[in-house]
Amino acid sequence: MSTGARRRGIRLPQPDSPGNGSGPDGLSPRSLTPDPTHDSTVGDEDPRSVSRSFPAASGPPEPEYIHNIACVAITAIAFALRFYKINHPDQVVFDEVHFGKFAAYYILREYYFDVHPPFAKLLLGLAGWFVGFDGRFEFEAIGDSYSQHHVPYVGMRAMPAVFGSLTVPVVYQIMKECGFPVVICTFTAALIALDNGHIVQTRLILLDAALIFFIALSLYAYIRFRKVRYSEFSRAWWGWMVATGVFLACSLGCKMVGLFTFFTIGTAVLVDLWDILDIRKKYPMDVVLKHFFARALGLIVVPFIVYSSFFWVHFKVLSHSGTGDSFMSPEFQESLSGNELLMKSHEIRYYDTVTLKHKDTKVFLHSHKERYPLKYKDGRISSQGQQVTGYPHEDLNNQWQVIPSKAIPETGRGRVVRHNDAVQLLHISTQSYLLTHDVASPTMPTNQEVTTIAKEDARSRYNETLFTIDIINGHPGQPWKSKASHFRLVHVPTKVSIWTHPKALPEWAFKQQEVNGNKNSEERTATWFVDDIVIPAEDEDLFSREGGPKEKVVKKMNFFRKYAELQLLALQHNAGLTASHPYASGPINWPFLLSGISFWTNNEKLQQIYMVGNVFGWWTCVVALSVFTGIIGADLLARRRGIQPIPEFVRNRLWNSTGFFFIAWAFHYFPFFLMNRQLFLHHYLPAHLCSVLVTGAVFNFIAGESINYPISVPGPGMRRMPTARSDVGMKAVIAAVLYAIPYLAMFFFLAPLTYGTPGLNGDQVNRRLLLPSWTLHFAGKATTS
Amino acid sequence: MPGPVAVDIGTPSPRSSFEEIQHPTYTAARSNPRYDAASPSWSSSSHQPLVEELPMHYVTDEKARRRIIRAPGSVDPGSSPLTSTREHMPYEMHPPTDHVDDIDDDDGKEVYRRMRVATALRQIPRPPPTTFKEDLIENLPAAIYTLLSCWTRFYQIGKNNHVVWDEAHFGKFGSYYLRREFYFDVHPPLGKMIVGLVGLLSGYNGSFEFKSGDAYPEDVPYVAMRVMLATFGVLMVPLAWYTSRELGFSRRAAHLTTIMVLCDVAWLCISRFILLDSMLLFFTCTTVFCLTKFHSERHDPFEPDWWIWLTLTGISIGCVTSIKWVGFFVTALVGVYTLEDLWEKFGDLKMRKRDYIKHWIARGALLIVLPFIVYMISFKIHFLILNHSGTGDSQMSSLFQANLEGNDFSKNPLEVAFGSKVTFKNMGYGGGLLHSHTQTYPVGSQQQQVTCYHYKDDNNHWRVEKPWTSAPVDDEGDIEFLKHNDVVRLVHTPTGRNLHSHTVAAPVTKLNNEVSCYGNTTTGDAGDHWIVEIVDDMVLGKRQNVPHVRSLTTKLRFKHQQLGCYLVAPNTVLPPWGFKQIEVSCDKENNPNDPHTHWNVESHWNGRLPVGETKFYKSPFFRDFWHLNVAMMTSNNALVPDADKEDILASSPTDWPWLHLGLRMCGWGDNQTKYYLIGNPAVWWSGTASLGICVLVICVYLIRNQRGYRDWGVGEWDHFLYVCKIAGLGWVFQYVPFLIMGRVTYIHHYLPTLYFAVLMVGHLFDHLVFKSRRFSERTKWIIFAIASGIVIGVFWWFRGVAFGIDGPIKEHWGLLWRKTWNIYESH
Repeated sequence: MSTGARRRGIRLPQPDSPGNGSGPDGLSPRSLTPDPTHDSTVGDEDPRSVSRSFPAASGPPEPEYIHNIACVAITAIAFALRFYKINHPDQVVFDEVHFGKFAAYYILREYYFDVHPPFAKLLLGLAGWFVGFDGRFEFEAIGDSYSQHHVPYVGMRAMPAVFGSLTVPVVYQIMKECGFPVVICTFTAALIALDNGHIVQTRLILLDAALIFFIALSLYAYIRFRKVRYSEFSRAWWGWMVATGVFLACSLGCKMVGLFTFFTIGTAVLVDLWDILDIRKKYPMDVVLKHFFARALGLIVVPFIVYSSFFWVHFKVLSHSGTGDSFMSPEFQESLSGNELLMKSHEIRYYDTVTLKHKDTKVFLHSHKERYPLKYKDGRISSQGQQVTGYPHEDLNNQWQVIPSKAIPETGRGRVVRHNDAVQLLHISTQSYLLTHDVASPTMPTNQEVTTIAKEDARSRYNETLFTIDIINGHPGQPWKSKASHFRLVHVPTKVSIWTHPKALPEWAFKQQEVNGNKNSEERTATWFVDDIVIPAEDEDLFSREGGPKEKVVKKMNFFRKYAELQLLALQHNAGLTASHPYASGPINWPFLLSGISFWTNNEKLQQIYMVGNVFGWWTCVVALSVFTGIIGADLLARRRGIQPIPEFVRNRLWNSTGFFFIAWAFHYFPFFLMNRQLFLHHYLPAHLCSVLVTGAVFNFIAGESINYPISVPGPGMRRMPTARSDVGMKAVIAAVLYAIPYLAMFFFLAPLTYGTPGLNGDQVNRRLLLPSWTLHFAGKATTS
Repeated sequence: MPGPVAVDIGTPSPRSSFEEIQHPTYTAARSNPRYDAASPSWSSSSHQPLVEELPMHYVTDEKARRRIIRAPGSVDPGSSPLTSTREHMPYEMHPPTDHVDDIDDDDGKEVYRRMRVATALRQIPRPPPTTFKEDLIENLPAAIYTLLSCWTRFYQIGKNNHVVWDEAHFGKFGSYYLRREFYFDVHPPLGKMIVGLVGLLSGYNGSFEFKSGDAYPEDVPYVAMRVMLATFGVLMVPLAWYTSRELGFSRRAAHLTTIMVLCDVAWLCISRFILLDSMLLFFTCTTVFCLTKFHSERHDPFEPDWWIWLTLTGISIGCVTSIKWVGFFVTALVGVYTLEDLWEKFGDLKMRKRDYIKHWIARGALLIVLPFIVYMISFKIHFLILNHSGTGDSQMSSLFQANLEGNDFSKNPLEVAFGSKVTFKNMGYGGGLLHSHTQTYPVGSQQQQVTCYHYKDDNNHWRVEKPWTSAPVDDEGDIEFLKHNDVVRLVHTPTGRNLHSHTVAAPVTKLNNEVSCYGNTTTGDAGDHWIVEIVDDMVLGKRQNVPHVRSLTTKLRFKHQQLGCYLVAPNTVLPPWGFKQIEVSCDKENNPNDPHTHWNVESHWNGRLPVGETKFYKSPFFRDFWHLNVAMMTSNNALVPDADKEDILASSPTDWPWLHLGLRMCGWGDNQTKYYLIGNPAVWWSGTASLGICVLVICVYLIRNQRGYRDWGVGEWDHFLYVCKIAGLGWVFQYVPFLIMGRVTYIHHYLPTLYFAVLMVGHLFDHLVFKSRRFSERTKWIIFAIASGIVIGVFWWFRGVAFGIDGPIKEHWGLLWRKTWNIYESH
């Protein structure tokens, strides 16, 4: 939008076109006097809030080219800082272990499983493919050398670095579009461009660079969309809305954090719709609905399609069996070529001898002739039956024969075991049947003991040896297959599920894993599968008895089912990431940079990469956030007492535009407090970006009493409006320059930790321990007492 | 007082700049309070349109919402808004005014405008009933319901003559008051003192053990005790009646609410035993009742009635929090109500500053200080009654224990010498006694464990010995008292091992050094040496004035001689291998003010020293009060669900609103009288549904308002919202904390919460049916009859679970309304 357009004279609304453009402009009697104006960027304004005294426009607006020069300059700096020594270190750094590996899998087309959505990883894979990476490198541990293995890692790192650098002009443009003068825009962009944390995170093979870039771009697109709101349903309007949706989908496609961006934009959209609904806006209901459905289309349907398409590509690329197979359902696995399940899954027939494996803990159902001790340590009594345990290794004692509980034909398909069949399991080496009964298990009084009973004694307790094969998601008549059928073993009389958990039994059971009967017969973790058919009942080849071809064909699976399965799995695993990590930190530490993350160290050269932001910049943001809350709070209190301390249009911008940034910050930050998973400092980077935007706005508020106003693109048929110019002037420039001195100093001071070079000796490290909670390596001993 | 008379405003205010545009619907527009009141010219001149008689009297049955029906030919959304506006202005709601500021565009201001309405338009409270007939109509139902409730609560109350469920705890705690023995429990004392009082009144001597499932012997008047406690449950019912009337419910709605309170089987069941819940419920109800009473008095601030109800609210809060800490949640409701009220008054520019400050002070004094005093008084009485040594001693400071009768601390020799046998008490809140036992650490050094333990036991005994470097204590020689900076070796007397530390990470607090017991009377090393540092003495004062370590009063720290670390017990709990006792470790940081590094000598034995005659140990009340509260908090937080042990009785908060689970309150044998804690499904399900419906209704009204429909008369919306806030926010404050807190929860925790859901049901029925104009009187009667019929019917169906089921449970069919209930078979 050009400044010229703003000043164009605009005509009175057309009375006969209520739904098109003239909506927000007054048709109320009052609007016949002064004219509506368009000011705030996000949020809402009432066109009638006009006729107060505006300061005269102070001077001409800043010409566009100054903005352009500043933007290009800061972008150039950003590129320079991110590409500086990007080849150092030529070793695997931090999470490159994961994301480099995933990129390699895309190139090898091997299926893997990860909790993050695939978009950013696809891009990394693409970058790798583009620079000729063959995918052979394993990215096994931090510190593995790239150059020795001829990995074109610089090309791969270049992609995040480009995203990281481009974030800077996006931030600049956000501020510009919100009507801030050059100095404020530059200041804000510099807070990102020269931030050590952003730099270190965006020049390595990680997902955050793309994530942050698309988050910034979503905010930018939404702001552009808001600015053309007076030309509703115009081409620009649709364009920016759909762009917002697409960018939102991209950020969500990088990491689930993108969901917070959805919430941010969603909140703004709801506020906006609520306002459109307002009767004073004179929108008839059908136009309101049109607005509603347009947003639903652009901001829900479109992102959903884009987001799903990432997965579509993901599944298309990863068509081979790989490390992620075992996470998925059998149907899914059978759709991957070369999958073990696909190759070795066979129907099980009665009198086959099989081994049973527990899905989660990967132990075999095992028994041996030793018995449970009569009395446990806590005084409870056992049945003294034969022990049944979970054992992780191949062993003859893992073999069980499937005995029918009904008459079966001599040969043919009637001998196949099917879903919900009741069977007995005969332990081959001790010739006894699996049994469970109402005796407390060794370690869990609530669960039933599992034992066996000798073949000869089994007649009297026949019922207690019966188990149903309950195939998960099975349908009646579905054959029970090795590998492919996940099932629960449900005891017929007592309805318990055979279950095991990673708790080892004491010495008397050789510290093997406890197996017991879980009273919840639907227990999700009581899932088993047949690992192998050891001895077929008939002396036939397993393939030939099924009558099928020896070469299995890759099965097809519907994209949407694959998609749904993966989403669910990712959610479960995300919540399960609770293990502790030495560099994990709680959200409360982040804004203050109380802890960093050690990414990489080199013991010989005393080099290290320590992810931590520009302390001076981050603390400025914290101060700005508090100042903003303070201003808002004071404004609320004052207005409650009937005092209007801030000029109307300035306050409008403060609430609606800066408020939007603030909400974005809050949405990207506070939800982390509710999460139980492992959290790291770099999770704060998106929130930090939002706090930087707030900082710029607060700087403007402090430096000048006015703002550029209005900034929205006037709609067709609107009249001339009073304007105001930002008056930050020279003093803001001086303030910014003064600020830049310590800020730059801090950047250069921390640069060795950011770039991993040069190496620092003990004293130098000690000096950089700005906060006692940082955990730098190679700290000098002298001063740590 | 009657409202001001409607004034003709045929001529618009001369200050308006819009006279030239004559709005046909001008007066109608003015009647909308929301926009009207915003205009200062309105509130000052108090012009009233003729459309309605304003202000409304208290919301009554007869008043229904009015809808302004669009005039025929008025705006068709498709037609030109300009022309239609000029002609009909059905959407136009702005009072013409020259104050631009009044119409604003950001949300912040909208809020104010709405609030200004509330202050500008005062609702006149219903005058008290004057005639005998009115009195009768108002109070007769309450009396009848009270009688009915007496019947349900007292009917066959002594049927099960065994200790049922938590009677085992609360009966026992009541007995302690009668025996005057100090005990420790996670709940504040008021409820249990009432149990004790009830026991006293009914002539119980406090000798019964209250073992779970035992039959009551002849001399325990358990029926009388149950009856007295059930009285609290009885009183819930009339309170529900008066509360709903005070909330402006129509009679029918009030009847329905009261019937629901009367007929819930969970409330009934829980009220019939010696438990705290009936009291908790009662005081929750009184708090809400007092708050609504106070709300009705809000237009006459600083009048006697206003003070009375504010004071009663404060006392009620004090009582409810003194019974169980969950009572604090209802306090949150009062708090939010008060803050909103004060915020509203903050915007009232006409109020004098002095008055405003007075409002603050009144609230602070009566809603914060007064409840706190009530809470403290209950503890003061608690300490006064329990002046004998008992099971809970060790939770308290040594000094407190010294004041309990039957405690031998006062016989301690005063000054500690080498060769003394002592126990060390950690002075941190909830700190225990330094303890060791033969079990070893499964991690780290694998040496003998050292922990903090809360109960008296020989394993807490330590002997103060000389370090390895000096000659052992000579039993014949001079007595050498323990001084500041003395190096000691502490020998665990039962095992003969020495208190030891080394550079092995502690099992839980990995940053600290592990502390273990190592060696024996002959083997050991410098790792067994500890430097005694005297911090101060409670009687003698600063370190300089303390020549020797005294038992009980001297505060000590133990510094490891080799490592320089300090012996600390920071309330971290060891895993099951350590029997969940408290970890003891050696802290590398020197924090002189950390009370967890402070220890005092508690018991002290030394045959060579004279027995102390010290009765000058005084324990200040505030310290004991604070100490006990922190200890309660610590134990409460330790009540976490045990992952290894599946607690069949526990349930998660998400199970409650839809009555997913019930709870067996006693044994389930065929010849036992069985009680099953389960709600009346009609009450619980409708309660939960009403909360969702309420949100929906509010959204619909907001959207309608945004679209210019005028559904409300003056003050009606505010009143509707006020009741929604009391019921809805009350429910949220009572429920959501359970979702967040880590401790194990049971279904009876939902019972106070349910009260708010029931109020919401009444409110919605009232608003949507009984006060609606859409329904005829007959329809209203029918709906009322059906609703209350269902509640009563379901109650009758389930009455057995509260009155007690005899005989095999299988013979009582039809009770399994949800498959998850373990009423017939345990899952």
